Amino acid sequence: MTENDSPRIGFACAYTPLPLIRAAGFIPYRILPIGDWPDQAGQMLHDNLCPHVKRILDRAMADDLPDLAGMVFVNSCDAMRRMMDAWKQIRPKDKTVMIDLPATAEPLSIDFLAGEFRRLVEVLSQWSGYDILADRIKSSMEQYDLLASRLRNLHNMNQRGMLSGGSGRMQAIYNQAATQQVEALIADLDRLISELTAAQPMKEAVPVFMFGNILPDPAAFDLIESCGARVAGDDFCTGARLFGAYETQVAIKNDAEDVFHDLARRVLTRPPCARTFDPAAPMRIAEDVVDLALACNAKGVIGHTVKFCDPYLARVPVVREALTAAGLPFLMLEGDCTLRSMEQQRTRIEAFIEMLC
Amino acid sequence: MMKQYFDDMVAGIARKINDDPESRSPRKVYALEVARLGSRLYSGDGGVAWCGVTAPFDLLNAMGVTSCFVEFIGAMLAATGMADAYIDEAAHAGYAGDTCTYHRGVIGAMRMGLMPEPDFLIATSVPCTGGLAVMETIARHFKKDLFVLNVPQRETDESVKYLADQIRAMVSFVEDHTGRSLDQEKLQQAIDHTNEARALCEEAYFLARAVPSPADGRILSNFGVVMALLMGTSAGVEVARTYRDRFKEMVDSGQGGIADEKLRLLWIQNRIQFKNPLIDILEATFGASVVCEELNDITWDPIDPAAPFESMARRAISIPFNGDVNRRIAHLQKLAREYRIHGAINPCNWGCRQGTGARGLIAEGLKQIGVPVLNLEVDCIDSRNFALGQMQTRLEAFTEMLSG
Repeated sequence: MTENDSPRIGFACAYTPLPLIRAAGFIPYRILPIGDWPDQAGQMLHDNLCPHVKRILDRAMADDLPDLAGMVFVNSCDAMRRMMDAWKQIRPKDKTVMIDLPATAEPLSIDFLAGEFRRLVEVLSQWSGYDILADRIKSSMEQYDLLASRLRNLHNMNQRGMLSGGSGRMQAIYNQAATQQVEALIADLDRLISELTAAQPMKEAVPVFMFGNILPDPAAFDLIESCGARVAGDDFCTGARLFGAYETQVAIKNDAEDVFHDLARRVLTRPPCARTFDPAAPMRIAEDVVDLALACNAKGVIGHTVKFCDPYLARVPVVREALTAAGLPFLMLEGDCTLRSMEQQRTRIEAFIEMLC
Repeated sequence: MMKQYFDDMVAGIARKINDDPESRSPRKVYALEVARLGSRLYSGDGGVAWCGVTAPFDLLNAMGVTSCFVEFIGAMLAATGMADAYIDEAAHAGYAGDTCTYHRGVIGAMRMGLMPEPDFLIATSVPCTGGLAVMETIARHFKKDLFVLNVPQRETDESVKYLADQIRAMVSFVEDHTGRSLDQEKLQQAIDHTNEARALCEEAYFLARAVPSPADGRILSNFGVVMALLMGTSAGVEVARTYRDRFKEMVDSGQGGIADEKLRLLWIQNRIQFKNPLIDILEATFGASVVCEELNDITWDPIDPAAPFESMARRAISIPFNGDVNRRIAHLQKLAREYRIHGAINPCNWGCRQGTGARGLIAEGLKQIGVPVLNLEVDCIDSRNFALGQMQTRLEAFTEMLSG
């Protein structure tokens, strides 16, 4: 079996510790809600539950998944908990594990999450059949640091107009990084970066900053840019945030305990999803969005969340207030992980971009 | 306005009990203590902490903090018929109509000045993600310090230690804000009160399983979740004792909570908090009595005085809404068997991902032991979404099916 034939472990949340899965010899495979499947998850979960979760379940119920050696779930929100509950019903033979994820990043929580990661490694060892040694984890984390670095380079090159295809193509690369074997992908990205030597002529477009949770379809970014915008910066669970725990300058020690703590601290302190916050600075997400928008010289901000997402819906009004105070126009979109829902909002997007011109 | 409301309520109930000691029912004693809590919350004297549902209220009571979970405000607004304006205020401020109305009511009350300003806040990650978000919002609005208790999903030695250590840190946080140290004697007294109330509640719940049950559809409404607020106090002990004594009298004399109990129902999660006739219809028309509510159960061991924070941690982890749905289903199945339940009603509160989200799985789990579930599409706080005719038709069909 070659490395490319390694068995896959499915996951759905950007807080999943990818290096641990890879260190166990598996390929982390993000189950993305891109596609068209019969709506079946509603039999088990209420209509008002997150469409990200339900689309993933629809995909599983339609048996549109590669072979999976197991599923790693993360207790990041109510909907993610319900997804694991439903997954066990529809695929009872699958191996599953859930990682408990604190909402805050004080030392006690980092210690606890380190213990959860240690438990995950024990589970993955049972699934793979061999011990996962600390140096293998260290090596895997270095690979993800390299991957994050390459993605950062590509993101910057895209901002300079060097990546043909723009933000849609960048999203397609993020999707590859979430589903493919890390070592091979780094080699592919190195080749791509070496070929991107000259800036492409950039068409006139209004720079906007986008943030939210789940927006994995490259066509959604194409749609935004087809309305006259340029996505100058973005912050999504399905984008750079998945790799935000990596590409840090922190030295990794050989001792296994330190590896787990190091990874736990990185995961809890990386650019957060709305579900993770600092109690000392309540709703700092609002200031973070303003800062990120100003940093990329955006003329306006587009938020996009999937419907029924409590962590984001509860914080959007405060984000709106902060953006208004900063003089940044704001357009809020809700979707259901289908391009149809984005297309229905094209007129609103066009009007928003026109207003910014 | 609210201080006056609660003061009037306290005075009214106390007067009635004083004038007619025979009228001293468990529900009156319970309502009196809830009104007293409301009065303290709105007293303006300080020492108030808004909390999450699984905060250790007995510990906070021992530290002299008037503490309450924020959902209490949402339920209170609904019960008093005042919720609409506050829900609308939240909507005007941009809070989505798809989110929990308990929390939108709280946000509206906060924005319109009806929410008492806390000295500090203690959020809990259980039962729901939305609950954490509303605590963060309130902390920002009032510019008050926020402490978060991350309640683990599973009970293990590591997870209990994690939460117990957080509770220790919470004690330091509270001491810093009140300027008072935790008095070990008061803590011991609170533990004694908690354990006594726990034992009395356990007896009362055991008695409620009798056929016919001494409980009707109102007497234990919201009881388990609100009793947590009274833990650690002598008032909590008194409330629990009153229930135990009354239920014992009724069971000993063979008296049921309703006249002719034909069907015994289990109520899942949320009560509908605004005034509505569903319980009356069930009892009067169908002889169907809600004898059990999901949270009316003791899922935790007595607090160990030698390791109180570990015991409190285990208690928080033990609530049925925590962990995976199979744990919750197993608990519902246990209740259904213990109470000899014929059917269950699940008011699927719109906007509740934690509870309502799993309704299909819960229905399937109870079906496995022969207990049908009626899922009601309802908003437990916003009465404007309540379609009585539709509900009545569904209740009729459900009870007919159970009777057949």
